[in-house]
Amino acid sequence: MATLTAQHKIVFTGTPGAGKTTAIAMLSDAPPVVTDVRNTDAALGKENTTVGLDFGQVDLGDGQCVRLFGTPGQLRFEFMWQIIATDALGLVILIDNSRPDPLGDLAAYLDAYEALLPTLSCVVGIGRTLDCSWPAIDHFGDALAARGLVLPVLAVDVRRREDVLMLVDAVLIQAEMRASSDSSCPHH
Amino acid sequence: MSSPLTTLLAEQAQQAARALFAEVDGARAIVIATADGFDLAHAGHQPIDPARLAAMVSSVSALGDAASRETGIGTPRFLVIESTEGRLVVRCMQVQGQALIVVVLTDRSVMLGLVWNRLAAAEQLMNAA
Repeated sequence: MATLTAQHKIVFTGTPGAGKTTAIAMLSDAPPVVTDVRNTDAALGKENTTVGLDFGQVDLGDGQCVRLFGTPGQLRFEFMWQIIATDALGLVILIDNSRPDPLGDLAAYLDAYEALLPTLSCVVGIGRTLDCSWPAIDHFGDALAARGLVLPVLAVDVRRREDVLMLVDAVLIQAEMRASSDSSCPHH
Repeated sequence: MSSPLTTLLAEQAQQAARALFAEVDGARAIVIATADGFDLAHAGHQPIDPARLAAMVSSVSALGDAASRETGIGTPRFLVIESTEGRLVVRCMQVQGQALIVVVLTDRSVMLGLVWNRLAAAEQLMNAA
C-alpha cells in the first residue's frame, strides 16, 4: 500500500539580501528553481537578485514533505508576495540585521502579510546578528508584541542547513499547535 | 539605477518605445524594462503604471526562463499572454550587454508575427545605436 505524504507549503520572504534564495538552496533535496537576474540597482549591493520566485522541496521523513517558496525581496514585487503566499501553511520572514532599519523592515513585511497572518504560522529569522547585534532579538519580540503578535524570533545563519531546518521546524510546530487547538475547541 | 550607461540606454529605449508604438497598429502601450524590473521607457495611449508592469513582466520573464531551463528548450525569445480583451507580447533581448524586456500591450486584432518582427527590428536598432 502506498504511504500518503503530507505536503506543506512554506514561504520565505524578507528584505533583499536576507538570504531567502540561500536558505532554500541549503534545504532543498534537489537543485532549486531560481529566477535570479543581474541586479541593476547599485543600492542593493549584490550581483544578482530574485525577480520571480525560488522553489525547492525537502523530504523531512515521516511522510512530511515541505515545498519551499521564496519571494523577491523588493517592494516593487509585492504582487508576487501575495501570489506566492496563497494556500501556504507558514511564512518565514528573514531580516538582515546589518540593514539600516531592521525593525522597520520587519514592520513592512508584517504590514504586507497582515491579512494572511491570522491563518499562517509565522516565524522571524534574524540574520547577521554576529556582525550587528542591535536590534537585539528581544527588540524584535517587543515589536511583535506591540502588534499583539507572539511569534518565534530566531537568530539564524541561513548558510547553515540546521538553522534553516530550525525555521521550518518552528513553522511546523506552530501549525501543529494551531491544528490541535482548533480541533480541541470546536467553537473557535 | 542611474548611471551614464543607464541614462544612455534609457534614451535609446525611449526612442525604441515610441517607434514601436507608432509601427504596431493596435498597440496600446509599450514598456521597456530592465531584467530586474525597472522601467526604462514607455509609450502608448492606454493608462498603465509602467513601474508595476515592468516589475510584473520581469517576474513573468524570469519564470519563463526557469521553465525553459527546466524543460531543456533553451532560451525564451517571446512570451505571449493571450487574454480575452488583448495580448501582452514580451520579448527578452540583449542590448549592449544589458538584458532588457520589451512588452507590447495590444488589442486582439494585431498579428503576432508582425509584433515579433517589429520587436526583432527594435532590438537590432538599439544595438546599432
